[in-house]
Amino acid sequence: MRRVGDSLKYMDSEQAGMNDTNRIHPDGGIDVLDPPPTDIMDEETLEPARLAQNAPRLETVVQLLNQPALARVYVYVCYWGPVSPPEIMDDLELSKSTTYEYVDQLVDFGLVDRDDSTRPQQLTADPIIIVEQYIPIVITPTVLHALALQEVDEDVEYFMDRYGAGKLIAALRGAGLHFAGKTTQRMVATDIDVRETEAMMIIYALEPALTVGRTHDPFFEHLFPDVHDQMDLPSLDEGDGAPAESDSHE
Amino acid sequence: MSRDNLLSSEQDVLVDANVFFAIGHPSNPKHAQFRSAIRNAGVVCKLPQRVIGELGGPKTDRVQAALDEGWAEIIDAPSPTDGDAVAASDIATRTIANETGKPEHEVEKTDAILAGLAIQYVKDRSTAGVVVLTDDKPARKGIENAVTAQGYTDVISVYGLADVIGDNSGDSMRLI
Repeated sequence: MRRVGDSLKYMDSEQAGMNDTNRIHPDGGIDVLDPPPTDIMDEETLEPARLAQNAPRLETVVQLLNQPALARVYVYVCYWGPVSPPEIMDDLELSKSTTYEYVDQLVDFGLVDRDDSTRPQQLTADPIIIVEQYIPIVITPTVLHALALQEVDEDVEYFMDRYGAGKLIAALRGAGLHFAGKTTQRMVATDIDVRETEAMMIIYALEPALTVGRTHDPFFEHLFPDVHDQMDLPSLDEGDGAPAESDSHE
Repeated sequence: MSRDNLLSSEQDVLVDANVFFAIGHPSNPKHAQFRSAIRNAGVVCKLPQRVIGELGGPKTDRVQAALDEGWAEIIDAPSPTDGDAVAASDIATRTIANETGKPEHEVEKTDAILAGLAIQYVKDRSTAGVVVLTDDKPARKGIENAVTAQGYTDVISVYGLADVIGDNSGDSMRLI
């Protein structure tokens, strides 16, 4: 673990570039640069009743961040719902028991709605968004998708093992800027402090999250307010709304 | 959709490292498409040492695989010393700065140097032509501008991955 002193010293040297809107925070937004102003919280926001109302939401997001396999099912339902458990099994290549275990968990968390009036049951999920500009943190379905990719992509898994979620989110933002032509891959490497080849690897590995996110994530603009409509990415060819997965080499 | 005529065996193909990541792992269909395009053209991807850096670890296994299979090789391209070559790298730097909205001193030297390496290569060796392959759009624009400005468009072509294997399409991608 980095000590607090290290992290502050490190961030000081970065302050000069902080006004640039294209700036990728080297740590993906974990360290606090300056404490937020106290007046951003008011009595109304801090009403115990309101805090209590939002507490479960925070807990569920933490669950998703800590369980990429669960996040993967959530994102699938969110993007392609209504879907049935057998569709999840097939498209995500999960066992029946695992699928139902995850679905039950997501329903318990209140992240997925289950309609039992039809056979098979139909599942839907509302997209979630958490934005905290002072830290900064942005969590949208696209971000959860990027984290979930570690379940199926060895490059994302490697990057997560080595650098963690904060830097993966920074890489996601860098990848979006790259596909919009606003930064080179080597610039991303320098910005997020990874090797050049690691930046190249993760930029392409995150392409699916951006490709799907820009058409399916209603909060895509929160992550890419500047370049959401400028990315040069493959177009999705989806006949029936299910993921167009590759069968060509199988 | 034959694109075999894009590359010919008389040309020297200089490749930036990103191409090996854009084509993915050997299990990715793009990887096989690119490998056969290179083999069918009878060329070997020349990877300048200074653009690939140090190899090692799981992230560069796909580069190593191409080297082992003989369709890529690492070359020690001479640094740009010729006037045209040095100027080309400067033009590439300015173009990349302009494209990305960054000050010139923040442009990565390695992104800009490929333009100079290509011109130096033409100056030093008897070659029927050089193809520069890069999948990085702002960097590619930098090289294209430099080659055009220095008057080398008849001997140096700049292509992206899609020019070689066709437009990328979402159906070869695992989405989730």
